[in-house]
Amino acid sequence: MDITVIAESSGDGLHPVTAQLVGAAASIGGTPTLLCAGGVGATEAASIAGVVKVISVVGDCFGTFDGGAWAEALNSVAGGDVIIAAASPSGREIAATMAAMRGIPIVQDATGLAPGITVTRPIYSGKAIETSTVTSPCAITLRANAFAAAGGGGNADVSTVNQSADVAVAVKEAIAKAGERLDVAEADIIISGGRGMGDPANFSHLNEVADMIGAAVGASRAAVDTWDEIPHSMQVGQTGKTVTPRLYIAVGISGAIQHLAGMRTSKYIVAINKDPDAPIFGVADYGIVATWEDALPALKVELGKL
Amino acid sequence: MAYEALDFYDIDSLLTDEERMVRDMVRDWVDEKVIPNIEKACRDGVFPDEWRVDLGEMGILGAPLKGYGCPGLSYIAYGLICQELERGDSGVRSFASVQGSLAMYPIWDFGSEEQKNHYLPRMTTGEWIGCFGLTEPDYGSNPGDMITRAEDKGDHYLLNGAKMWITNGTIADLAVVWAKLDGVIRGFIVEKGDPGFTAPEMTGKHSLKASVTSELVFQDCVIPKDRILPDVEGLRGPFSCLNNARYGISWGAIGAAQSCFSSAREYALSRIQFDHPIASFQLVQNKLAWMLREITKAQLLAYHLGKKKDDGTWIAEQISLAKMNNVDIALEIARMARDIHGANGILDEYPVMRHMANLESVKTYEGTHDIHNLILGRHITGIQAFTREP
Amino acid sequence: MLLKQVPDTTAKISVSGGRVDESAVSKWSMSPYDEYALESALQLKEAGGGEVVAITCGPARAAKMLTDAAAVGADSLLHILVEDLSTLDSTQVQAILAAAVARTDSDIVFCGKQAADTNAGSTGPGVAHLLDASCVTMVSEVTSDGGSITAMRASAGGNERVAVSAPCVFAFDKGITELRRPNVRGIMMAKKKVAETLSPADLGVDTGGSSVSTKGHTPPLEKPPGQQFEGAESVAEVVGKLRDEANVI
Repeated sequence: MDITVIAESSGDGLHPVTAQLVGAAASIGGTPTLLCAGGVGATEAASIAGVVKVISVVGDCFGTFDGGAWAEALNSVAGGDVIIAAASPSGREIAATMAAMRGIPIVQDATGLAPGITVTRPIYSGKAIETSTVTSPCAITLRANAFAAAGGGGNADVSTVNQSADVAVAVKEAIAKAGERLDVAEADIIISGGRGMGDPANFSHLNEVADMIGAAVGASRAAVDTWDEIPHSMQVGQTGKTVTPRLYIAVGISGAIQHLAGMRTSKYIVAINKDPDAPIFGVADYGIVATWEDALPALKVELGKL
Repeated sequence: MAYEALDFYDIDSLLTDEERMVRDMVRDWVDEKVIPNIEKACRDGVFPDEWRVDLGEMGILGAPLKGYGCPGLSYIAYGLICQELERGDSGVRSFASVQGSLAMYPIWDFGSEEQKNHYLPRMTTGEWIGCFGLTEPDYGSNPGDMITRAEDKGDHYLLNGAKMWITNGTIADLAVVWAKLDGVIRGFIVEKGDPGFTAPEMTGKHSLKASVTSELVFQDCVIPKDRILPDVEGLRGPFSCLNNARYGISWGAIGAAQSCFSSAREYALSRIQFDHPIASFQLVQNKLAWMLREITKAQLLAYHLGKKKDDGTWIAEQISLAKMNNVDIALEIARMARDIHGANGILDEYPVMRHMANLESVKTYEGTHDIHNLILGRHITGIQAFTREP
Repeated sequence: MLLKQVPDTTAKISVSGGRVDESAVSKWSMSPYDEYALESALQLKEAGGGEVVAITCGPARAAKMLTDAAAVGADSLLHILVEDLSTLDSTQVQAILAAAVARTDSDIVFCGKQAADTNAGSTGPGVAHLLDASCVTMVSEVTSDGGSITAMRASAGGNERVAVSAPCVFAFDKGITELRRPNVRGIMMAKKKVAETLSPADLGVDTGGSSVSTKGHTPPLEKPPGQQFEGAESVAEVVGKLRDEANVI
């Protein structure tokens, strides 16, 4: 089965998810051809094990992102029955547009693939898992970090094709991120500090971790009540905000019932506390008994490696 | 977790789509604007002006009144509005009750066309706030013997006296004041700025802290002749207003009870003691079941009363029963809920003690619990037992 | 306006007999990103005129969502009745919606970037292609200045202001303005706006032969019981687990 994999880029290079896309394609018996939009990451792509061919698609339209134009250009070059892309914002848009161009169905955000093609994916924001079969030809986007990456050492052929398409979306102005902290109520990842932080100035360490992983910074009521510098808007708990992030990291928070009420339904909870009997460990998926002074620097190091 | 209102006998299925949409609109507003800010408002003792603006914009002030820009909703819808507001806080519902049932209603029912056209459109938008001056420092359950008096001075009325326990008084643009003119109770519209009228705020309250409670003081207060409500004399005037407000309160109390029940249930399921959630203990379940029983009965009482209000077949005593019963059980539920929350129940982390304190006022105002019992006693026996007179 | 009714994001989802039990869903709501799209459409109408047509493809219960859209200002309502959306694949749903849009003669289409039930995000780009329209996704704001339309969309470094011309589809992320509340007047007027109800066949779309067949639903995998670790040395192990076991970073 010929599979066209739309390579995912990150800055000037290849995003690690691309190797996962290749791994997944191989796992359902496909022979993957990689398309690199704008030629980005073509050399890297050629070294992914299992890749049959890399096509570096270059053209004027790849200067800025225009999902419709990119899809049109890539679609002219893409062979294959199955299109696989990353379930990133651009990946979803390109794959969905290509699917509509070909009149083939698309299934998005898969976390599992099996020959058939059987697709497993979360639905209702992860409250249930759906398994379905899709007939080929079709398009599928894959969730990052859900599939094993193909290894390195490959040596695929790289060919360059000039293919552009009319751009309909003109970028007028780039506006850098405001640098404002994410709001606790909306963030997917939250790191919160309690009275165990010792001093409001120490929240700067939480801010650093938050910046690394795109998290919001929260606080327990104890911290908000004790320190003026920690505003009520950061409070997570009964009278603060109730949050349901993918990941909640509680640092120096004992886990009183009022705080738990606000974060108990987080998907995953990590607790860092020096007291092994702190109630927060009762709800934590991963509890680390350590002082924040020891644990946070280590956390920054490990997150930096990712 | 989103709020789930107890509705054990599915009152929801009896509502029209419009009634449900109105209820959901208010419910969402309470979730967004009241719940996150009420504890602070309570601690600070203020009614945020932003809420007045929002209530006006939603178009729910004077809910059941028709014409003059007023919403013209069913009494069921009015009840649902009160229920949802009071789930947030009795003080918020008090603001709306006073504005709609006690200040707008008398103008709507007893005012001249000029008065209706002048005041009602601006009151329904929340631009002008009204209040209701009946109760006096020495005349509460016995309003008939009030001493605030008006004298006809030819080209104006002169008002003298004082009213007490007046919700919205200090922030009101106008007050509907009941005073004796030649010994007969009449209604007068007094406006902020009328000479001789002041409305100092009453402080030191342990209840309805997020609501403005005031005195109205008239010292040779001069009001123009066109301010008298022409179409009513005697206690019939204020009592008609009170009937409407009491009806709304019978629904409002349900909201407070639902809030307390919801909090108690969630707390009981989370609180672990002796290695088990306290919701697994029989005594706690018994309390929760009692709350469910009383809330369900109260809902059916209020709903059926609402239907009778809408088709005009109601009598005042039916309103007395609903107000009295629903507030009584709501207060019991609040106390029981506080008990289930243990020590945590005294913190403003949870709404229960705030509701409990508020409901003490709600049990007393708009006709005390005992007075409503006597209203029913008189209805049953034909014999009045309010006073020692024959 | 392409709007979808989904289980409220706070509603519990339960699986019974290998399928999600829709009858157990306590509350149905407009998909959250669609709400932002609708708000933006209403603002655009208020600024420059025009009409907002709210379209949904879904079962009978979705009619209530259209009424809610009318209550905040949608001018007309179109309901393509499909009792079970799971019997259709993306090509069929997009064909239905594109045909519905074509019927209304609209040249600007607003929708959410992805629906809260499927979390897919195919509809905006797919419908755009079928309508031969340009498409901008991850939009937070749309403004119009006579002929040209400007949108703010997310980019790698933050945001970008882009220009497009009609016909165009805008797929919304969380918008920058607060969602408006309905008010009593809106609710009363909404009663009078009756939705036009059509079947896919009325639009010339064949609903047989979907290429995607649902095999079943399961609840999310049970998380392993909580694990406790001693000392800061364990942080490396925990981070690894967060990436590989939990897939949250």
